[in-house]
Amino acid sequence: MDRWTTQQRCSIALGYFNSFITAAAAVEAAAAAAAARRQRLDSRRADGVESLRSRELESKPLKMADDLDFETGDAGASATFPMQCSALRKNGFVVLKGRPCKIVEMSTSKTGKHGHAKVHLVGIDIFTGKKYEDICPSTHNMDVPNIKRNDFQLIGIQDGYLSLLQDSGEVREDLRLPEGDLGKEIEQKYDCGEEILITVLSAMTEEAAVAIKAMAK
Amino acid sequence: MAAALGPPEVIAQLENAAKVLMQTLACSILTALLSEFSSSSKTSNIGLSMEFHGNCKRVFQEEDLRQIFVLTVEVLQEFSRRENLSAQMSSVFQRYLALANQVLSWNFLPPNLGRHYIAMFESSQNVLLKPTECWRETLLDSRVMELFFTVHRKIREDSDMAQDSLQCLAQLASLHGPIFPDEGSQVDYLAHFIEGLLNTINGIEIEDSEAVGISSIISNLITVFPRNVLTAIPNELFSSFVNCLTHLTCSFGRSAALEEVLDKDDMVYMEAYDKLLESWLTLVQDDKHFHKGFFTQHAVQVFNSYIQCHLAAPDGTRNLTANGVASREEEEISELQEDDRDQFSDQLASVGMLGRIAAEHCIPLLTSLLEERVTRLHGQLQRHQQQLLASPGSSTIDNKMLDDLYEDIHWLILVTGYLLADDTQGETPLIPPGIMEYSIKHSSEVDINTTLQILGSPGEKASSIPGYNRTDSVIRLLSAVLRVSEVESRAIRADLTHLLSPQMGKDIVWFLKRWAKTYLLVNEKLYDQISLPFSTAFGADTEGSQWIIGYLLQKVISNLSVWSSEQDLANDTVQLLVTLVERRERANLVIQCENWWNLAKQFASRSPPLNFLSSPVQRTLMKALVLGGFAHMDTETKQQYWTEVLQPLQQRFLRVINQENFQQMCQQEEVKQEITATLEALCGIAEATQIDNVAILFNFLMDFLTNCIGLMEVYKNTPETVNLIIEVFVEVAHKQICYLGESKAMNLYEACLTLLQVYSKNNLGRQRIDVTAEEEQYQDLLLIMELLTNLLSKEFIDFSDTDEVFRGHEPGQAANRPVSAADVVLYGVNLILPLMSQDLLKFPTLCNQYYKLITFICEIFPEKIPQLPEDLFKSLMYSLELGMTMSSEVCQLCLEALTPLAEQCAKAQETDSPLFLATRHFLKLVFDMLVLQKHNTEMTTAAGEAFYTLVCLHQAEYSELVETLLSSQQDPVIYQRLADAFNKLTASSTPPTLDRKQKVAFLKSLEEFMANVGGLLCVK
Repeated sequence: MDRWTTQQRCSIALGYFNSFITAAAAVEAAAAAAAARRQRLDSRRADGVESLRSRELESKPLKMADDLDFETGDAGASATFPMQCSALRKNGFVVLKGRPCKIVEMSTSKTGKHGHAKVHLVGIDIFTGKKYEDICPSTHNMDVPNIKRNDFQLIGIQDGYLSLLQDSGEVREDLRLPEGDLGKEIEQKYDCGEEILITVLSAMTEEAAVAIKAMAK
Repeated sequence: MAAALGPPEVIAQLENAAKVLMQTLACSILTALLSEFSSSSKTSNIGLSMEFHGNCKRVFQEEDLRQIFVLTVEVLQEFSRRENLSAQMSSVFQRYLALANQVLSWNFLPPNLGRHYIAMFESSQNVLLKPTECWRETLLDSRVMELFFTVHRKIREDSDMAQDSLQCLAQLASLHGPIFPDEGSQVDYLAHFIEGLLNTINGIEIEDSEAVGISSIISNLITVFPRNVLTAIPNELFSSFVNCLTHLTCSFGRSAALEEVLDKDDMVYMEAYDKLLESWLTLVQDDKHFHKGFFTQHAVQVFNSYIQCHLAAPDGTRNLTANGVASREEEEISELQEDDRDQFSDQLASVGMLGRIAAEHCIPLLTSLLEERVTRLHGQLQRHQQQLLASPGSSTIDNKMLDDLYEDIHWLILVTGYLLADDTQGETPLIPPGIMEYSIKHSSEVDINTTLQILGSPGEKASSIPGYNRTDSVIRLLSAVLRVSEVESRAIRADLTHLLSPQMGKDIVWFLKRWAKTYLLVNEKLYDQISLPFSTAFGADTEGSQWIIGYLLQKVISNLSVWSSEQDLANDTVQLLVTLVERRERANLVIQCENWWNLAKQFASRSPPLNFLSSPVQRTLMKALVLGGFAHMDTETKQQYWTEVLQPLQQRFLRVINQENFQQMCQQEEVKQEITATLEALCGIAEATQIDNVAILFNFLMDFLTNCIGLMEVYKNTPETVNLIIEVFVEVAHKQICYLGESKAMNLYEACLTLLQVYSKNNLGRQRIDVTAEEEQYQDLLLIMELLTNLLSKEFIDFSDTDEVFRGHEPGQAANRPVSAADVVLYGVNLILPLMSQDLLKFPTLCNQYYKLITFICEIFPEKIPQLPEDLFKSLMYSLELGMTMSSEVCQLCLEALTPLAEQCAKAQETDSPLFLATRHFLKLVFDMLVLQKHNTEMTTAAGEAFYTLVCLHQAEYSELVETLLSSQQDPVIYQRLADAFNKLTASSTPPTLDRKQKVAFLKSLEEFMANVGGLLCVK
């Protein structure tokens, strides 16, 4: 069971956040998560560890960055929801060490033949590709991130940022061109004048382009 | 050294040294010779044909091999007479012993065997000794057998040499075949052998290194010698043999237990114990040769020792070493570790069988051991509870006592399960005759009412019920397990779940399922005689069965809510539930329980705790709920049931997807969860399909399928949901297509076609970018191929009787066929072929599924293949060619695909079509495969059929191939033999035509052809 303090959680979050998210945003993200968690805790019976965690969170004053609003679009939807560990499944998602992860390995074990099951999770951060592990009793509740995928038409690339046409007709220009092969491919296709759709994955206030496809004609 | 000795001594020493050297050299040469001749896989590559190798081996084994053996025996005799051997001498001794072992393990070729059989013979391991007649004098000479016993006695402390000498004896114990002129000689040989064996083992302390060898000897004797020979040896000798077997089994069992405690890497005693228990099973299965009760006392002993080894002190010796109880550290056990009931299933089956033979002893024994432990467990848990109440914070509870009890109960339940019932797959398990007889025999002394009382009061101590000793013992044993279950349930109610063992919970439901399958609502028609207590307690229309069903259902419900975090336990529990409803008679009682309806309602509402269950468990639960719905109820009740079980699913689903802003909120987690749960449930419903409910279920599912296609569009970016949607189609096709009549099948084809179209549209230009390119990333491809294969399977397995089961459900037949299976499948293939690549074929499941699919298509729609677009056609042909070089399974599939393709060509009579040209190429490939390569015998039929059809199609090319082959032969004898063989091959079918009779004749000639000259051209 992880016993990270808020301090550690935040610093880890800072370490692994994509560069387009500022430090302020990270603090804000943690605050949002904390608020969401508090809300949830009120609505259901908290177990010992959970309440311990929330106490830690509340005791730490957090600086709010008012000028940034990451909750656009889904007001009221929380970034994560709880799920009994045993009900998680491989290829599903889970929050490990504060990061939204895709579960790439899930196995159970027990201590002694008559022991109770423990779940061993290995997840890959869906944004940074970093690997995280955790082990917990299978009765334990884990946070699962709300994952969203949206397709936007690519209409331009400027200074390493993508211009994407939203369904509402507005253009957003806050998403970075991904690094690596995918980024090169996007640039190349765009340069050739191909019409492409960019799939944007979002979870826990972060977003990134993860795939492309040709526009259906 | 030489200086100190006179010349004669020096010479003697030198001579001696020279002799040792010579003997070593001789032995090395002989060993090398033997390897060269023993099998074609061991021979050197010297460019000789297989036939030549085979002939050499045959000549060698009749003459030279025997001489080598005689020589070896002489040398061994000489060694065995010597008193103290120098290190050098004993190393020579060991070499000759190994040589003898090699001879006795020789895989004797019977005269006149074709190449196919040679290949078969060579592949088999654990060769039994079956020499030809000319070995009679050599091997039946009793001095040979005695020599090996003597040799073993002499060297048994040297573990390396003992391996060889015991292996020689094990080979001699497997002697059979034409070497015995009559039964009498076989009896003599066996009697002699057993005498020698008993003389060797009796009165010695067996070394660790001897255990496996000795058990192999005994296992070979019991397996190879027929029962009538076994019983024909002198009675006293046979009794001593069985006594010795009993003694060894018990003693190896104890040593095996010790090995486990010490966690040894090399479990020699466990291996030996397995072998002996298996021998017991062979021995007692065929009991008509032995008088009744002959084995009872032995069975009691083996059974007792098994139980003893698995129980903790003081009753047993578990974890007991010479220095007292070993402190077992709590080790981490991964999920991959097999459950004991599977890992030790062979042992448990043998012990269960022995327990039935000695039912009089074993059933009461198990009962009292279990009852006593239930009482102790109850007490122990109560103490823990009081402790917890007294000081809530303290968690310093010593679990040692509890764990010991759990482990005891674990093994007792496993043995009880294997003793009382068999695990059958696909057939109705019967109450074992031994158990039935035992119960009938005692039924006159039994008080039925007290028996029912014992059964019906699992919360009370059995011994607290007056007259408890006049109850049916089998029922009392069952009730002992129910008492364990009751203690578990009460502990859960008292909030002590954390102290319970999930393993024990698993054992309980596993046992109950096994028991219920066999005993609950026993079908009296299946038995000549039925025990009165059984039919009163578990028969149809009895209060007993009604009560048990209620009890089991209660258990299932409690487990599903308490143990949702223990996947295996939840799974075993839900399997018990399926057992309760899968047979109509039981289901009729189940649905009368209020609890069942509560369960159905609770599951339909998707609320905790049932929604915590893992998805496979939820699926099976849905399956059980649907199966229960087909029990006998009046129309009104049935209506009500479906309203509670299936309709909420539909309503909730429609409510979600018909929301105005569904498109916007489809990614919201609650919505996604709702959709996922529905799709999972649909898979579960499809799994519940049976012939008598398919009409209702198909119509119900069809409504969903249409909506699911819409979901494909909405969730095109969510691969896990897309996969789940395809999976629903796969399941429906898998479970239902074989029952569907023409018009219903067409509905399904249409739906599948639309699904494929949407899938195709959404995957156009899609690129899969993922760092972890693993097989499961291609799950959607695999699922689509599975779907297509399932749709095609209707052409092979079809139970439909033109919509018989749907009669009354639909107005009339569809007049024309707008969509056929061919359309769907070919559309799918057009979709799949471009996505498949050689890299993807490296994933075994994808590869197998792919070839299965294309072979099905070639077999069912050969006429469609030439119509494929050129590049697809080419890649299909290339796939087939590639497949012929892959695993034998894939290769066989490809060969099977060739026959219909060639037939299609013959029908079309176009000599310039691409398919025609392709088949010409395949003719050469198959020709080479059959004639030139050493190939798998399983493939002969598939290869032969493909070959014949291709020959029919391309007669000129075939003649050319034969000509080319013949002209390359330099040896006139071989040339002639080959030419004759080819003539004979086609003699029965000239000119070759696609006629079944001719084809069969050709296949027969082909087999002769292979046996005759097959070995000539395959060169090593």
